[in-house]
Amino acid sequence: MKITKILFVSEFEELWLDALQSLMVLRKAGMNDVVFLHVIHRDKVAMRRGAGYLKQEERKLREIADIRFIDWAETLYEEGMEVVAHIAIGNIVPKILSVTEIEGVDLIITARRKRAKLEELYAGSETSDLLRRTVKPVLIYNYLSQSGKVGENPFERLLLGLDWSESSEKVLDYVLALKGAVKRVDIVNVISEKDIAKLSKMETHKLERGNKKRLDEVCDVLIKEKFDARPHLYIGNTEEQIQKGASEHRATMIVLGAKRKSVWKEKWSGSVSHSLADKSELPILIIPTEIK
Amino acid sequence: MAKKVLNVEDDADIRTFVTTVLEENGYIPIMAIDGAEGMEKVRKERPDLIILDILMPRESGIKMYHELKLDPSLKDIPIVMLSGVSKRTFIRSQAALTEFGDETVPEPQAYLEKPVEPEDLAETLKKILG
Repeated sequence: MKITKILFVSEFEELWLDALQSLMVLRKAGMNDVVFLHVIHRDKVAMRRGAGYLKQEERKLREIADIRFIDWAETLYEEGMEVVAHIAIGNIVPKILSVTEIEGVDLIITARRKRAKLEELYAGSETSDLLRRTVKPVLIYNYLSQSGKVGENPFERLLLGLDWSESSEKVLDYVLALKGAVKRVDIVNVISEKDIAKLSKMETHKLERGNKKRLDEVCDVLIKEKFDARPHLYIGNTEEQIQKGASEHRATMIVLGAKRKSVWKEKWSGSVSHSLADKSELPILIIPTEIK
Repeated sequence: MAKKVLNVEDDADIRTFVTTVLEENGYIPIMAIDGAEGMEKVRKERPDLIILDILMPRESGIKMYHELKLDPSLKDIPIVMLSGVSKRTFIRSQAALTEFGDETVPEPQAYLEKPVEPEDLAETLKKILG
């Protein structure tokens, strides 16, 4: 598993040059190609009564995007990188999926995307929609504020959440592929209160011991590959514990696996990774189980 | 016989502009919408000259230029760069590719920064193709 090509999705309001620059650390992990994508939402240029299709507006928006991308691309070209760009009109998630396919990217980078309240109620956020439909890892940046800044190396200290599901192995492989960009990995496993509610004290200890052993095994794999890795076992609400762990260990990014679920299944059973993608203040890297 | 000019450009408006200039000056225009399609058309059509943009989908003009100049059968096709990317960046990018182990490539026959006047484009083509 290698990360050689990234897709950087920007609407220029939420993902800026500092985020792009912070990703250059991935060059140490073999990244050399950057694909830019800007999607002009259909509503911005759609037919208006008396004005028809807003062709002039489309030209203007394309020009704005083109100028911005050229400015960003120039720096990367001068470093010997390959940069291509797509400026499209339509809905963001389908466009991300089609460009991902056309360009064969290994990682999608996007900002957290919300929808109008009513739409979000039945369809979830655009971020959740993307996570449900893609088979590629997605890195989601969540700016704290309009003037928020991205850290120099978001890959420096990873909080790696593992639940021993089939996605955990994929997540570990992916982290190993980030070698060179990562300095420290804090591996976290959370035993939920629900899991131990009906267990005896002895059974609870047994469960803890088993999970600690598995954490140590993962830790050994990472240490063998020269990562600075530490295991942590928590008990409680998974989402809360991951966020607490990230703060406690000064993580710069949260890394989680995700199983693909339908909208309704997700509504019923929930998904820690999707929920954190919508809430986390740190950049969050979600790796799907069916990673291609 | 009229000469064939391949224009590799993702912007439809600029493709229309270049096609008009080419037709008005007696050249046969061939179009490609990105670097990957551009390479296919170069091999298939063997144009007499290539007008090449840089920032496009699938393959950039920087990479396509480098590939063309390193291919013994294609390296002599004259190339006119027509882009919003500055010439300085283009030269530096080619030098950077050399640093990563590729061979040095010559500068393009002409470098035009967008926007370009139709007369300037026609004049440049005339100088190279005669």
